[in-house]
Order: sequence, then structure tokens, then C-alpha cells
Amino acid sequence: MPATTENNNQGSFLGRISIRRNQVLSMDGTHDQEMEDLELFQKHVGDRFSDLLSSTTDDPSSDALLSIAWLRKLLDEFLCCEAEFKAVVMMGREPSQIAKPPLDKLLPELLDRLVKSLDICNAVALGIDALKNIQRLAEVAVAALDQAPIGEGQVRRAKKALSSLVTTMVQEDKDPSKGTERTRSFGKRSSNTTNQAKSAFRSLSWTMAKNWSSAKQIHAMSSNLNAPRGAESSGLAQPVYIMSTVLVFVMWTLVAAVPCQDRNGLGTHVGLPRQLSWAHPMIGLQEKIAEEWKKKEKKGCVGVLEEMQRLDKLGQSLIEFADSFQFPAETERLEEVKAQVEELGDICRKMDEGLEPLQQQIREVFHRAVRTRTEFLLVLDQAGKLAAPST
Amino acid sequence: MENNLAENSGNVAAYDTGHTPHSPKPEPTDPKPDGGGTAEGEPSPPPSETLHEGDQANQEKKNETVKESPPPNHEKLAEDIDQLFLTLREDNDKSKGNAEKLEIPRFVERYLHMVEEKIIKYDSGEGKAKWGEVEEEDSWLLENADRITKLMKLLTNHHCEIEEERRNSLVNRTGSIQQRVMSYLEEDFRIIMEESRIIPTELDPGGNNNNADPKGKHVASSEKQEDVQDPDREQTESQPSFPGYPEEAIASLRKIATEMLSGGYESECCQVYIISRRNVFEEILQKLGLERISIDEMVQKVPWETLARDMIPAWINTFKECAAVFFPGERKLAEAIFADNPSVSEGLFSSLSRGVVIQLLNFAEGAAMTKRAGEKLFKLLDMYETLRDVIPKLDGMFPEESVEELKTEMTLAKSRLGESAIAIFCDLENSIKSETAKTAVPGGAVHPLTRYIMNYLAIAGDYKETLEQVFREHSKIERPDSTGMPRQENGASASDKEAASPFSTQAMRVMDLLDASLEGKARLYKEVALSNFFMMNNGRYILQKIKSSSEMSQVMGDNWCRKKSSELRTYHKNYQRETWNRVLASLNHEGLTVNGKVQKPVVKERFKSFNAMFDEIHRTQSTWVVKDEQLQSELRVSISTVVIPAYRAFLGRFAQILDPGRQTEKYVKYQPEDIETHIDELFEGKPHQGVGKRKT
Repeated sequence: MPATTENNNQGSFLGRISIRRNQVLSMDGTHDQEMEDLELFQKHVGDRFSDLLSSTTDDPSSDALLSIAWLRKLLDEFLCCEAEFKAVVMMGREPSQIAKPPLDKLLPELLDRLVKSLDICNAVALGIDALKNIQRLAEVAVAALDQAPIGEGQVRRAKKALSSLVTTMVQEDKDPSKGTERTRSFGKRSSNTTNQAKSAFRSLSWTMAKNWSSAKQIHAMSSNLNAPRGAESSGLAQPVYIMSTVLVFVMWTLVAAVPCQDRNGLGTHVGLPRQLSWAHPMIGLQEKIAEEWKKKEKKGCVGVLEEMQRLDKLGQSLIEFADSFQFPAETERLEEVKAQVEELGDICRKMDEGLEPLQQQIREVFHRAVRTRTEFLLVLDQAGKLAAPST
Repeated sequence: MENNLAENSGNVAAYDTGHTPHSPKPEPTDPKPDGGGTAEGEPSPPPSETLHEGDQANQEKKNETVKESPPPNHEKLAEDIDQLFLTLREDNDKSKGNAEKLEIPRFVERYLHMVEEKIIKYDSGEGKAKWGEVEEEDSWLLENADRITKLMKLLTNHHCEIEEERRNSLVNRTGSIQQRVMSYLEEDFRIIMEESRIIPTELDPGGNNNNADPKGKHVASSEKQEDVQDPDREQTESQPSFPGYPEEAIASLRKIATEMLSGGYESECCQVYIISRRNVFEEILQKLGLERISIDEMVQKVPWETLARDMIPAWINTFKECAAVFFPGERKLAEAIFADNPSVSEGLFSSLSRGVVIQLLNFAEGAAMTKRAGEKLFKLLDMYETLRDVIPKLDGMFPEESVEELKTEMTLAKSRLGESAIAIFCDLENSIKSETAKTAVPGGAVHPLTRYIMNYLAIAGDYKETLEQVFREHSKIERPDSTGMPRQENGASASDKEAASPFSTQAMRVMDLLDASLEGKARLYKEVALSNFFMMNNGRYILQKIKSSSEMSQVMGDNWCRKKSSELRTYHKNYQRETWNRVLASLNHEGLTVNGKVQKPVVKERFKSFNAMFDEIHRTQSTWVVKDEQLQSELRVSISTVVIPAYRAFLGRFAQILDPGRQTEKYVKYQPEDIETHIDELFEGKPHQGVGKRKT
């Protein structure tokens, strides 16, 4: 579902809500309308994520789970959820309505999660920078091997780039903020490339603050995240809880997919409510992603991003090819390599087309979070002012 | 086209010391000075195999003895190759698309062999000389990189007529040599990037502050003494010297980059460049004291004092330095090194600077998100001003490719800071409203709230221009329409003819609220006189603060000042009336004479009454407080001018009625001079003191 139609839908939805609320607010029928709005919001959230879930399974040509294109879709849906959320909870409402219990506690908690999500956005954006460097290495390999005949020089060039690529991915995955030491374990280097490799790994991207951990941040975001009970579950506490859950889930997914500083302990699930239907597609996605993550941890640290996994596989295989290469290469093997190089080129193209927009989207999420927080603070502020006895 | 470009760049980069194949001046070995000919692409007859084998044998022997300079036939081979390219190019020019018969002469293999041998020597134990140590070696590498690249292009050219097997073998060999040569160039490029930089200039881009962090500089420079010698001199000659590469280093980098790019090794070159420069920026930011900090930490943990004292000034400084020195310097560096490929240099610079800018902006966003508090306003405005001043300069600072995004990002961050500033300033209202203490300030003194608000506004005056701008540009953003509060402009500014600016409207509202709050506090006093005295005292303080800031008096306007002054006069009058009218009434001459005869008991009574009232006033009002000396003396004078003449007249007229001696002593407690002295003791905020005690 392209974002544009989403936006149209969303536009009319928002319009409806605000009009209705303006008409109805003063009358007593507010309650029913509100129930309807809340249900609609829940339904939409469920639909959005079930689209994301089905697009990963049904059609093999569509974007694979955790691919760059899929992440972009995920962020599109997130932005839509967020806009609807604001429409439901904030638009046309008296400030006092959202400043009373239980929102007086739940809303600040959500705002705190929004602040924490900003750092995640930044860390993910840095991870995308690192991916751009990885893309450049893959491009070198493609340029070198996409030749006929493939000569020794090209093979050496490709191997150098691919070794860097594979090492870098492990590096970025473990902890982009430190470590020249790790490169030493990749021994097969002639004396003159060692230095180069070392310096190349010093840091492929900017890093976050020392000791900052994406996994810890996710955990901090998901603590206190409890489904509203009893009477609360039918009121505004519900959308606030849904939004918090969506936020935490999306951030968790991003951190799992893109190289991020210190992801130790990310495997633990974010608690999602099994009893609530809107959460089911999200639970489905979470299980799939967690599975990938587990595989990754077992295999020894390769990114969960679909493109990274493929790069890793292709990289390993082509390095093997390079190691046994003798000029002229056997025709049979060349066919295989040609296919692999094509696939590599395909991934490079996807990265080239997708990483920049993804990074911009992340930035948009960042700005949106800042803005939403500001808007809510303003409303809470006004509620506070109204409540305070004025002189 | 591509060939031409490569050859031109080769011309600039590689042949500046040696032969120039394109040079118009005839070479002795040039077989075709007129450029014509049908020599079938072969500039010189291939030397016989035997001769060359002999040469090679010779060469190998020589290699064992003389390590440095290549034997003469190397030069010959290189010349032959250059000549080959020259001829091919000319042929190409002539026959346009019809260049079918390109043949690859046999000496190409011998040439490749020669280069291979050299590379093998590099690979062997002794390795290659460090760049810059042996000039001939450097230019050998560059020149042959160029030849190899051209050869590679020639061999993969479809017009080139050559049997498949030989072509494949030649392509493989040439490609292999090219890869090795490029690896060496890449390594040299990296080493020059990292080691020829002069560290001290980073800390001190303007060169004004030579004592900054001497330790850091010393350690850094002692590692590379040779490099530091020249550049140091250079630095003193031409000032802003970031990024601190000596001319020769930049020239070398440019030559290497040119060869790597024309050889198709752009990615490798860019990777080395960008990593090296990013590390430099990491160092710079660190040295400028810009700590990396997460937004979460900024908002939740770090005490504001730390932000205000260290981090924000470091941020402001870093931002300014980046805009003034580091970014322009960085751009120049990229342009100098990738002179032949503007798109590459722009891409590299954009990517680097974007990383730095976004990092800086994240800090600004974080600062704007910290919990609102009055004391934060001015730091946030400092940051706001920094961004505001840089934004208009962005167009010249960044390439088109990235300037729009950066402008948008900076403008957003600026808006956040502006909105925060507005919110904080508007919070003054709350701090006034929430000051609800029910105890009156002793002595009718200036209320702490008055002091706080007025001092705040006085500083705000220093930021008037910025605050005006902030209120103008950002007060409408971020207010969801439906929750917008009714914010009517009260009558306060209605009298001003010009439409008041949003900032002065807000300042006016703060003043009105303060006035209202003070009136409430004035009611806490039981005595009407003290109530008025309190209002006069605070009003005076307010007016003085406004008047002493030319900016704030502009903001408040003349009307406000006039209105305030007249209020003050009213309070003064009220005070005077409440306190002194009764006193003056006791000195009234009326009712003392009945039928022209002075009533002695009444006179006694009047004196007694005056003394009692005056004592009481002195006792209480010397504990009242006026810190403002001018106001204090004005008050005393205004009291004196009313009371003393009246007393003098009363005394002059009625004192004589009393019997001299004990009676006079009893009733005439004060001489006019005493009255003056006592009035001068009023409003000093002294603890209670009986007049009588003082007299004794």
C-alpha cells in the first residue's frame, strides 16, 4: 500500500474526527462517538501491521521481511499510526480531558518514550551511514568482478573489498564504537594491506555517546508498558497504550535490523498483549524477527537486515571463489560467479535507492516525535494553567 | 571523451617531472613529427627479441647491484609506451570512429614485465619507500599507474585488434599490475592523509590562541618532526591553516587521487579519504569540548548547570568554528585533492559535513527539550542566535546537493529553540501567579518576586532583538488550533498607537500580572500607609529597572513609563496623606485661640499629640525599607518640606505660651532641627528604636 493513498485515507479520517468532535463536543452524545473513534484507531493499527506481516509471506516478489524496502513501509505505517493517534487523543479535545487520571501519568510516560526514541533514531541513522560504507565496498566487488575475462587483479581487488565488507559487518554489528583489535582475527592479509584494513575499521560512521546502548534504551522504553485494565481499557488510556506499543515495537525492529551501538540483550521480547486483537499481527512479526535474530546470534553476528544477510552470504562465497582463483577461471564456476555478482549488484542497487530515503524517513520520525511531544506538553501546560487558580 | 579526460589529468598529475607525451615540442625519439603516417599504430619498430632478452639479463644484473635508479632501458620502454598512446590518440583523432586496426606491439609485454619486477621488489622484504622519501620512486609509481590505466583501456577497447588469447592474458596481467599499483597508491594516500597533517592548527584554527593545550600539541607534533618543520613556518606566514596539510602533501594527494580515479579505483580512494577526515573531525569536536551525549541523558539526567557551564558554550563555539573555519577549510581540501572531479569532492564534503551538522543539531534539539526553567532562556537564545547567524551563510558554505537539507534541519532546530524560549518566557506568568505567599514583606520593602522578574526582564532587554524575532517567527507554531487558549491583548497596550510587537505584548502582560500580584500583596499590610509605601517602593524599583535598560524602555514604551510615574506619584501622595496629614492637623493653628486668646491646655494637648504621633511614626517608619537612595531622599525631603515649616511655625507661635523651664521642656520635645534629624532616620530598615533612648 503506497504511502500516498494512506495519507489520503488518513486525511479524511482526521477531517472526520475533528469535524465530528467540533459538532458533538458540547452535547452528551460524545461518548458513543468517542468509542467509535477509538475502535477505528485500534482497527487501523491492526490492519496496518497485518499488511506488513502479509507482505512478508504471500508474494515472493514483494519486499522481504526486514529488507530496506520493508523497513520503509514499516516507517510509513508508523507515521500514519502516529498521525491518527494524535487525531484521536489530542485534536479538538479540552486540555483538561487529557490531563486527568489515568492520562496524567500515562501521557508523560509516552512522552518519555518519545524522547528515548529520538536517540534510537539517531543511532539507526548512524547505522545507515555505516551501511552506505558497506554498500561502497560491495560496489567495488561488483565493479571488479563484472568483467570478462575476470583477471587476477580484479579478483584480488574484489577480495580485498569483500573481506573488508564481511569484517565490517561483524564489526558494525558488535559495536561500531570500538575496536581496531577485532580485525586482527582476520589473518589472511599480506603485510601491506594490514595497515589499510586496520585504519579502515577505525570507525566507519559517527558513534553515539560512550556507553550508550540501543538494547538498554529499548528496555527502558518498554518498562512500565502495561495494558490498561478495567474501566480504563475503554477510555483514552487505550490509544496511549497502543501508541506506546507501536513505538516500542518499531524502534525494536529498527535496532534489530540496522547496525546499532551495543545490542546485547535485544533478543528479549518486548511484551505485547496477546489478548488484544490489534496486537496479533505485531506479535506475528515479532516472532519472525526474533527468529532471525536468534539465527544471527547463533551464526555469529551478521546483521538481521535482509540485504546484509545476503551480502554476508555472497561475500563469503565470493571470497571463497577468490581464494581458489586461477587465471583463466573455469567456465562452470564463472557462471555461478556471474549470477552471484548480479545478485550483489542488485543488492547494491537496492541499497543505493533505499538507504537515503530510509535515512530521511528516520529523520522524519525524529522530527515527528519531537513535535508530538511539544504539542502534548503544550496541551498539558494549558490544562495546568486552567486548573491553577488564576489571580 | 573519457580517454581525453584521463590523459589530460594524467598530463597534470603524472608528467610534471618527466616526459610529456602531449607536449608539442618534438622529442628526439619521436618517429612521426608531422603526425601523419600509416605506421599501423606502431611508433617505432619493435626491438628484436634477442636484444631485449639481453637487456633484461642486463637489467637483472644491475638490479642486484644498483637498487635505486632503474636502468636506462626502463626509460626507453616507458617512452615507447607513451609514444604508443600518443600515436593511438592521434590516429583516433584522425579517423574518428574508424579506428579498426589498432595493434598492440610486442614491447607491451616487456613493459609489463618491467613494472611487475619493480612491484615484486616492493612486495619483497625491503618494501616500498615511504612516500616523499625518494621523489623518483613516487613519480615512477604515478607515471606507471597512468600508463597501466591507459593500457587497460586500450586492451579492453573493442577496436583493438589482437588475438583473443593474447588479449586475455594481457588484460589479466595488466589488471593484476594495476591492482597492485593501486593498492600502493591507496596506502600512500592514506599515510599522507593521516601523517602529514599538522595537528596544532586544528585546535587553533585562527592562530590567535597559541597557549591552548600546549601538551596536546607537543605530543602530537613530536611524533612527526620532519613534517612539522616546514608547515610550521608556513603557518606563521599564512594564517587560517586548517586543515593543515602542507602544499606538497596536497599536491601528492591530488596526483594519487587523479590516478586512482582515472583507473576506476574511486571507491577505494573515497573510502580512505572519508574515514581519515571523519576521524579528524572526531578529534576536532573532542578538542573543542563537545561531548557526545544522548538526548535522553540531556533531558533526564544531566544537570542544567553542566549544560550551561560547559556543554552549551562548547557547542556554540564548535558551531561557529565549524561554520567559519572547519567547513570552508574542509571543502577547500576536498576541492584541492579532487580538483579534476568536482562531483566527487562535493559528495565527500557533503557526506562529512552532514554528519557533523546533524550531530550538532541533535544537541540543539536536546537542549530545547530539557525541562523548561527560567534560567535556561538566555542560553537557549545564545544557541538560537548561533543558528540564526549561520543559516543565511549556508548557501555559500555547502554544495547545492546538500544545502537544502541542512537548511531545513537547521531551521527546524532553530524553531525548536525559539519555541522553547517563548514557552520559558511565557512561564514568567506562571512564576508570578504561583507566588502566593501570605506573609507580607517586612517594612514594605521591594518584594523578591519584583526583584526576580525585573532582573530577568533587564537581561531579556539585552536579548531584545532576538526575543522580538523569536516571538515574531515562532509564536504561532506548535499551537494546535483547537486547544489554543484565548489570549486577548488586554487594554494595556491599547493606548500605544503602533501595534505592539508580540514580545512587548508579552512583556506588558508580565508587567500587568506583576502589578496585579503586588496589589494583592499590598493588601496584606494592615496600614494603608504601608500598603501605599510598598506599592511605591516596588513601583519605583520596576520603573528604575526599565529605565536603566534602553532596550526594555523601548519595549515598554513612553506611555507605560509615564503611566507608571503617575501611579508612583499617587502612591506617594497617598502615603504622605495617610501618614502625615494627622500630624499636620495637630499643628493646625485653628481652634487654639478663642476670642484672640490662646488656649493653653489645648496647646499642651497639641504638643503632646504631635510628639506622640511623631514618635510613633519615627519608631515604625525607620524600620521601613527604601533601598533606592534617591527615593529615600526624595521621600525625606518631601516630608521635611511639609512638616518642618509647619512645626517651626507652630513652635514659633505657641511655644512662648508655655511657661519656660519644666513646662516647656515637657511639651516641646523637639526643636525643628531634631525633627529634621529624625526624618532623616526614616526608611532605613533599622530595627525598632525608641526615640527617647536615642536622645539620651
